[in-house]
Amino acid sequence: MEEDEFFGEKTFQHYCAEFIKHSQQIGDGWEWKISKDCSDGYMCKTHFQIKSGTVVSHPGTSAYVQTCLPTEEALELPLDDFEVPETAVASEVIKYEYHVLYSCSYQVPVLYFRASFLDGRPLTLKDVWEGVHECYKTRLLQGPWDTITQQEHPVLGQPFFVLHPCKTNEFMTPVLKNSRKINRNVNYITSWLSIVGPVVGLNLPLSYANATSQDERNVD
Amino acid sequence: MAEEPESVLQLPPSTAVGGEGLTEVSPEAVTSEPPSSAAVSPGTEEPAGDTKKKIDILLKAVGDTPIMKTKKWAVERTRTIQGLIDFIKKFLKLVTSEQLFIYVNQSFAPSPDQEVGTLYECFGSDGKLVLHYCKSQAWG
Repeated sequence: MEEDEFFGEKTFQHYCAEFIKHSQQIGDGWEWKISKDCSDGYMCKTHFQIKSGTVVSHPGTSAYVQTCLPTEEALELPLDDFEVPETAVASEVIKYEYHVLYSCSYQVPVLYFRASFLDGRPLTLKDVWEGVHECYKTRLLQGPWDTITQQEHPVLGQPFFVLHPCKTNEFMTPVLKNSRKINRNVNYITSWLSIVGPVVGLNLPLSYANATSQDERNVD
Repeated sequence: MAEEPESVLQLPPSTAVGGEGLTEVSPEAVTSEPPSSAAVSPGTEEPAGDTKKKIDILLKAVGDTPIMKTKKWAVERTRTIQGLIDFIKKFLKLVTSEQLFIYVNQSFAPSPDQEVGTLYECFGSDGKLVLHYCKSQAWG
């Protein structure tokens, strides 16, 4: 049944619901959002990550980084950027938002994401490509425009980065076929997100792998 | 040669550049390991020897991915999924445009930084960790 590789919106919502159920059990922070004007929805999660930049070689500046020292000593440290070379970037906190939406045209889930510094400055597409995990970087940098692009979020209408879904079916099919052979029900969303997530800094805790086998109902 | 379920080959160290290929297990090359009762050393700091303890991994191909001639490997616990992916890609002589994915439970891809030792604790059984691997031109 090839139809299993392509699934409809209802199946998407079902798998997302199961996924979120486990997320709630382990406090992983995923939520379901309903779009106001339609009956569809999407999953989302906000995640903060420390991005280590170039090490500042100035003496005394190491404590300047991202600390919120309640002591008065913090005020004595150089507060402004003038003493720090422009090229030296301290570690910064980056806010990532991940959204999982359903693509009607491809009939697969799609990962939208955006990233910004805490002061609201968005990361550029170049920053995003450079932040891709080493594992995938080589392939990605061969043809970055094919893979991560910037598009308007279908529901929010704001610019998001998108991991292009055109090849999703290609890497999902062998996994699904293999699981079907041994009669195991797989949560498509869990499998898919475990594969695409790490590309853009999203790692699923291992407990999701066991959660899927608890869902024994067929989705039809 | 047909598959050799009994042979356990040592995975080359991750610092090896250029792929050393298979290393036959000869009597002197085998590290003397403590009995595989998987016991944790009580209370002490980890001596260097403990972190080198290897786990057995059984690699299975998915889809039309080439099957590795040697499927069973002894791998250091601290080896990451990324390290394993790099090794398999070299072993199978995949080109850089081909991506390789590794799965536990046949359906879940651990993140590349995950250590195989942890995966063994969570998903291992019968003294080994079964990992499925699948190649794909996932993007582009």
